[in-house]
Amino acid sequence: MNSLWWWALPVLILPILWHRQKREQTKAVPLATARFLPPSSPVQLRVWRWQDLFLLLLRCLLLATLIAWLADPVLPWRGDSVLVVPGADPAFVAKQLRDAGLTEARRIDLPNRDAYRWLHEHEREFDPQARLLLVGDVAMPAVLPRLQHAVVVRAQALPVAASEHHVAVYGQRIEEWRKLFAAIEGPQRYVLDAQAGLRTELVIWDTPQTPPPGLRAPLWWVVDTSAFPELEKTPQVDGLHYLDTPRGRLWNAAWLPPRDAGAVRTLFETWRRLHAGVSPHTAPPQAPLVDARTPAGPVGGALRDALSAALLVLFALERIATHVRRP
Amino acid sequence: MSVLASAALAAHTGKLDLAIRHVLAGLGHGIHAGRERGAGVEFSEYRAYAPGDEWRRVDWKLMARADRYYVREAERDSHVAVWLVLDATASMLEPSRSVEGLDKLGMARLLLGCAGAIAQRQGDAFGLLICQGERAHFTPAARGPRQLQRVLAQLERVDAAGTLPAAEVLRASLHFARAPSVICVASDFLDWPSPLSEAMLRLRGMRHDVRALCLQTEAEIAADFDAATAWRDPEGDNRLFRFGRDVRAGYAHRRDEHFDMVARACRAHDIPYVAAAIERAPGETLRTWLQAKRKAPGGRP
Repeated sequence: MNSLWWWALPVLILPILWHRQKREQTKAVPLATARFLPPSSPVQLRVWRWQDLFLLLLRCLLLATLIAWLADPVLPWRGDSVLVVPGADPAFVAKQLRDAGLTEARRIDLPNRDAYRWLHEHEREFDPQARLLLVGDVAMPAVLPRLQHAVVVRAQALPVAASEHHVAVYGQRIEEWRKLFAAIEGPQRYVLDAQAGLRTELVIWDTPQTPPPGLRAPLWWVVDTSAFPELEKTPQVDGLHYLDTPRGRLWNAAWLPPRDAGAVRTLFETWRRLHAGVSPHTAPPQAPLVDARTPAGPVGGALRDALSAALLVLFALERIATHVRRP
Repeated sequence: MSVLASAALAAHTGKLDLAIRHVLAGLGHGIHAGRERGAGVEFSEYRAYAPGDEWRRVDWKLMARADRYYVREAERDSHVAVWLVLDATASMLEPSRSVEGLDKLGMARLLLGCAGAIAQRQGDAFGLLICQGERAHFTPAARGPRQLQRVLAQLERVDAAGTLPAAEVLRASLHFARAPSVICVASDFLDWPSPLSEAMLRLRGMRHDVRALCLQTEAEIAADFDAATAWRDPEGDNRLFRFGRDVRAGYAHRRDEHFDMVARACRAHDIPYVAAAIERAPGETLRTWLQAKRKAPGGRP
């Protein structure tokens, strides 16, 4: 889209024409018998000569720089590259490099798993002939992506990393809750504390007392609503009432604490999905579609700082030169 | 020497007296037959030699006695005064489009200088009037070589500018002339009627011999100018004029009309009118101008 600005380059003709015409307006040679000639209207004779060449050059440069700034050119400075998703196994990466014959290629460490999005945004930076290898735990896109370059994908699913989550339980039934959390499968480990700390992600409020004023957590499961009477009137989804307060988000349901396995699974999945986010699947080793007419990604600005500085300098010079020229 | 080379030489000679000597040498003796009239016939007085006096008028016997140069002055029969009138307005700066460095003012200066030199050789008194920049610079009439140097210095110093002086200024300057005078006017006569033309007709009415020299350029006569240049009138406002093939016939027609009118007016008042291109050899122009005959007999060339 930005490259359409290059079509504005014919604007450079304007200063060239203006500088040409100005010269003619001031030049007239005395002729004693001019009174016998018909008077000429100020239509100027067209002679291809210019005045103020320095100013003309400055103005043309200024316009050209402005158009370049708007067009935001990106130079294809990247050649053969290996795009490595963070967390990829070094041995696996080295093997894929050897297999693809790209050991000399430049290695690019991607910022996150969403490799296709990054590649689409930065695709203008790659040389049209560049060979690309994508290695690691690439997130699977919703549809098969279209790119201008052929990309070899070597995906490797990584096991979910083990993590520790702190839960503070206020009430008498801490042992029951401990059993409930211990029954959850997966690499996550849940640590149940009697008091909330800085790392507490969840507070389970199973007591009629009013919570201390400084107690805050991202999520509260309120079993006993005596301390939070306002929860009764809040909106609810599938029997789950929710309310956002300065302490954090409050959940309450009639079926808390859960009595059966299905309720437990539903509660935990909802919690993880809403508060920890969804972890995408690993992409299959399927090459994206290659289409040279695919529109380029939006990210550019590699030359924008230099062009902005040049624009500022040229504008100042043009103003100074114009001021000096003025009689 | 070709005609053009002679005109160019006259234009490029820095010293006016040298150019005048060159032109007059080319003329021979045809134009100033009465050069010696009066000199030495009736002795009047001796006076000290001044540079420019002819050697033949030096009294050698007196020189041998007194060891100084003395010149014999004689009674003159001639009471004719010659008045040189130079139009030095801005339009006289019109250059020749074919000869580099030659313009109307330079040629007028040379021809008037020649007329002055001839008058001096004939023993006539001569004076100078320069119309420049709305003013008239007046040099009173006198005889002798010093007067010639004075007049030539004035001519050499003059620079064209402005327009003609007002009619009353000219009338105040040209109030002389009880004696019969020859009045040589060099101009381009682009303004007619003008204060200058009125003064000429008035002087002619007082029975003086008025001679008009209209200086033109070959480009004007041929109506041939650069079509790619914008032109302006040096004495007008800053309006622009354009020349081209389409306006050439109109230009020639209007110009001919104007100068026909000038020539008719001069003929009606018996003023010899000579139109000459400045690219012509100055000697020929001078001869044509000074020898032009008036209708009535008795005029002095």
